[in-house]
Amino acid sequence: MSKLEATITHIQSQEALHIVAFDFHGLTLKMMSLELPKSAIVGAKVLLGAKPTAIALSKGEAGMLSYSNQIAMSIKTLKAGELLCALTLEGFGVTLESIITKESALRMALQEGEKVTALIKASELSIMEVLDV
Amino acid sequence: MIEIDITKPLHGVSGEMLLEAKLTIAEGDFVALAGESGSGKTTLLRILAGLEHAEGTIEVSGETWQEKSFHMPPQKRGIGFVFQDYALFENMSVIENLLFVQKDNVLAKHLLEIVELSELSHRRITTLSGGQKQRVSLARAMMKRPKLLLLDEPLSALDPSMRTKLQQEILTLHKEFGTTTLMVSHDPSEIYRLANRVVMLEKGRIKSEGTPKEVLLQRSSSQKFSFTGELLEIVEVDVIKVAVIAIGQQLVEVVIGEEEARNLKIGQSVRVGTKAFAPIINHV
Repeated sequence: MSKLEATITHIQSQEALHIVAFDFHGLTLKMMSLELPKSAIVGAKVLLGAKPTAIALSKGEAGMLSYSNQIAMSIKTLKAGELLCALTLEGFGVTLESIITKESALRMALQEGEKVTALIKASELSIMEVLDV
Repeated sequence: MIEIDITKPLHGVSGEMLLEAKLTIAEGDFVALAGESGSGKTTLLRILAGLEHAEGTIEVSGETWQEKSFHMPPQKRGIGFVFQDYALFENMSVIENLLFVQKDNVLAKHLLEIVELSELSHRRITTLSGGQKQRVSLARAMMKRPKLLLLDEPLSALDPSMRTKLQQEILTLHKEFGTTTLMVSHDPSEIYRLANRVVMLEKGRIKSEGTPKEVLLQRSSSQKFSFTGELLEIVEVDVIKVAVIAIGQQLVEVVIGEEEARNLKIGQSVRVGTKAFAPIINHV
């Protein structure tokens, strides 16, 4: 689970559904969630997580994307297997893991050191832990 | 209103403890009593029924059932009680069991209709299945049109399909008779289906109470599905890692990242969770 420390800046609610906005090094991240931990209030510091399989990548001009979370990072390591490719990305002092198909990695000609954007859907982002208020 | 404020020392498996229950229940509520065995659920039910004595007061719709040294005898309290083991008169027929409580033929026939036993009304109890016996107990418990219906794990001995059917009948009776119902249950689906309120007991004390959703849903993080299991193995497949976890009677596999794998140890107790957006539901 890739983890990002962020601060809750805004919570929009519609009955049990919430869209939570976070500040992550000046970047706004968004999470879609049913129910929230009670301590998850505006101003609270949280640890956000996303599964490596839920992190997509884009390179170069990608046009408009619906991904609520787009984080500019660079490829730290790239490990290609028979079918899949496991990457670690670094930026903003954190490391994210991404697992994509090997075919995608080849099609995008991904290489270590290259600049990419990590893409995470709001529904795939989770609050792993509320750190403090 | 039902006002309960009682204490009673309990001698449980884990030693001495004090049952302390202070509860206000609105009329017409369906309350589930949940908690581990030995937490005092059945004792609380038996105290309400007058089958056991405790310190404190019980007041039901302005009527005092217990206060200081006064204990209203069980037969005078307007209660219906359904036990896990049916507690029927085996040598009597179905309808005789009902009429024994109250000589009201019309009501008895109506109740047997609700629990779908009209055709078996003259059968002896010994010839009935477990599910049928429990329906007789349920119908019998309603013969006095009780203010308070007490159910002590009434469905735990039945198979799942029979349980679902009886849950529906319990709900029908609860609504039609406008009773206040207290049911001891361990089954979250049963609690969710029937109760509008859950009281969770732990070691004789009320640990939490609220709607079934408030009390039973996992809310430690924003992940909706959460199961506890044991991590058996981490297998490498291609460039990814797959964790094998035993949850209850099942083994599940979860794809994990490098960092996740580093923080896990084989044999560890783990919680597997996912948000509400990923699971896919299919017919069984």
